[in-house]
Amino acid sequence: MSAFDYNKEALKNLKFEDTKILDRLVDFESARSAHLKKDHSRRDKRVSLKEAIGEFVRDGDVLSDTGFSYVRTPMQAYFEILRQKKKNIQMIGSPNSNQSYMIAFGAACYSHNSYSGAEMRGYDRAYSRAVIEGKTRILSEWSHGTMAQGFKAAQLGVPGVFSKQLLGSDILKYNPYVKVMQNPMRADPDPVVFVPALYPDIAIIHVQAADRFGNARMYGPPINDIALAAAARRVIVTAEEIVPPGDIRSNNKGVVIPFTAVDAVVELPFGAAPGSMPGYYYWSRQWWEKLMRWACQSQANINEYFEHWVFSCKDQFDFIEKLGGAKWVAMSRRLTKAEEYDNEDLGFDFSYKEFKSLETETGIYY
Amino acid sequence: MTDIKPANPLEMVAYNLSLQIGDHQVVYVGTGLPMVAAILARKTHAANITLVYESGAQDPLEGGMPWSVGGPFTWRKSPLILEMSYSFGQAYNGYVDIGFLGFAQIDMYGNINTHMIGTDLMKPKVRLTGSGGNNDLSSLSEKMVLVGLQSPDKFVKKVDFITSVGFLEGGDTRKKAGLLGQGPVAVVTNAGVYDFEPESKRMRVKSLNPGVAFGLAQMATGFELLKPDGEIPVTPTPSAEVLGILRNEVDPLRVFTSMPGA
Repeated sequence: MSAFDYNKEALKNLKFEDTKILDRLVDFESARSAHLKKDHSRRDKRVSLKEAIGEFVRDGDVLSDTGFSYVRTPMQAYFEILRQKKKNIQMIGSPNSNQSYMIAFGAACYSHNSYSGAEMRGYDRAYSRAVIEGKTRILSEWSHGTMAQGFKAAQLGVPGVFSKQLLGSDILKYNPYVKVMQNPMRADPDPVVFVPALYPDIAIIHVQAADRFGNARMYGPPINDIALAAAARRVIVTAEEIVPPGDIRSNNKGVVIPFTAVDAVVELPFGAAPGSMPGYYYWSRQWWEKLMRWACQSQANINEYFEHWVFSCKDQFDFIEKLGGAKWVAMSRRLTKAEEYDNEDLGFDFSYKEFKSLETETGIYY
Repeated sequence: MTDIKPANPLEMVAYNLSLQIGDHQVVYVGTGLPMVAAILARKTHAANITLVYESGAQDPLEGGMPWSVGGPFTWRKSPLILEMSYSFGQAYNGYVDIGFLGFAQIDMYGNINTHMIGTDLMKPKVRLTGSGGNNDLSSLSEKMVLVGLQSPDKFVKKVDFITSVGFLEGGDTRKKAGLLGQGPVAVVTNAGVYDFEPESKRMRVKSLNPGVAFGLAQMATGFELLKPDGEIPVTPTPSAEVLGILRNEVDPLRVFTSMPGA
């Protein structure tokens, strides 16, 4: 008999018979045990991306997306997961947009949903197809805020929190982990939703700087990553730069991940490309538009797209060359700095040619 | 002064969205027309509003149109950036006056759907994005304004999936369900502006755009629209000055306010 008391209506709607696959996400005891067993010493954890993914991302893992779809997201680490042909992954995330290609290439086949798409570029046709064709099995439905509360509850060190979100919605009917109950503090009827603490198996977090022990400094929106670093059983930090421990101590504004939580540190400049990396580089907008508007139209298209961008690249440097090399680096650095703060008086031009159909390659993906 | 082109339907939507915003309010925005509306409001009648975003960004200095709700224009020189959990927490705690939501489907009680088209979530006709922050804002903000294009397959009798609750089944069912805030106060479409009848909580015409008769609006709706007492007001049209600000300063590249094929 399961240790966990799931929402029975949701189990029925999600067509579950065996709930075992749901357990790890809320298994506090195994998370605490995993954290206790880690080597807590301050040691040099630097490894290559290949080694980090090889050892710390395992078939069947509950993998949490980090960053915000394509902002400070560990894209290059995800591409390495595809190259190493990991499988049976449950992807969770708030948002969870990167599950799209993880599912398309058979790395992930389970979804804990909150949002999958590309905002103004429309809904994700590849993800829609994956759900309809059964390439992924939905395990739970969430909103951004309630999944964020689940991760934050883990960091807070509590079994769960009570929320006012989801009440009355159909999302409640498809989430086995949450339950409506009476607010224990109120004498009058006051429905609240119990959201349990959530413990992914692995989170890969891309940061601007980390020291060799794993202390990590972040700039720009943290989204859920500070909570995820505490919650996940295993944490890989990929960093634009590895800095000396003294730098982390002297410039500690923005240091938000403690070394004790981290299993591996990877020096990975351009680790978020083709997403944006606050302070460092801008999105390749055309890459994302071509992904959403062309590659996601069919499996054949996405196969061709990823053969070019992922499977025939051995690392992120190959990828950057295809984006446009040093020219792309210089341009995207100017764009992100201009958008963040540097161009108050200069009227910087952000215009570019939007990718609307299969067009001739120009050599630079703006 | 040269003749300027009259406001197109999207510009009307942006303008009427902006009218929903009061000065000094804290406004929760996403990309698209809500952001156009908020920036227009700030440049016209509501110079002191504060914009907050799902990226956690608080009160950025104005730049151009962000490519994403997580992009640097949403946190440009922000004094601080909140984690996602705290960004919605401020709505729960009474620090968000008004939020804007889009939808794929909406029903007569302002319940909206961004999950799927079909009858079975496990085997839908089309799987859409899912909630994102939609359910969070609709559960917690003091006031919600819903924005979308009006057509019978969007304005439906019953949504295929309730992503976010408006007034649930009408009456006081929203409150009884335990949700916070006043719920949706307006729906702004390319046909006009709607509110909700105070007792039944059913969608009601507040005003219709110039040239839009009630019959036309009803034809574009899959449920019975309520009419207000008396003559139906005409939705305000932006003045030439406001239109100029919208076109030249707010969305000069017409990312969100140009009609397809225009």
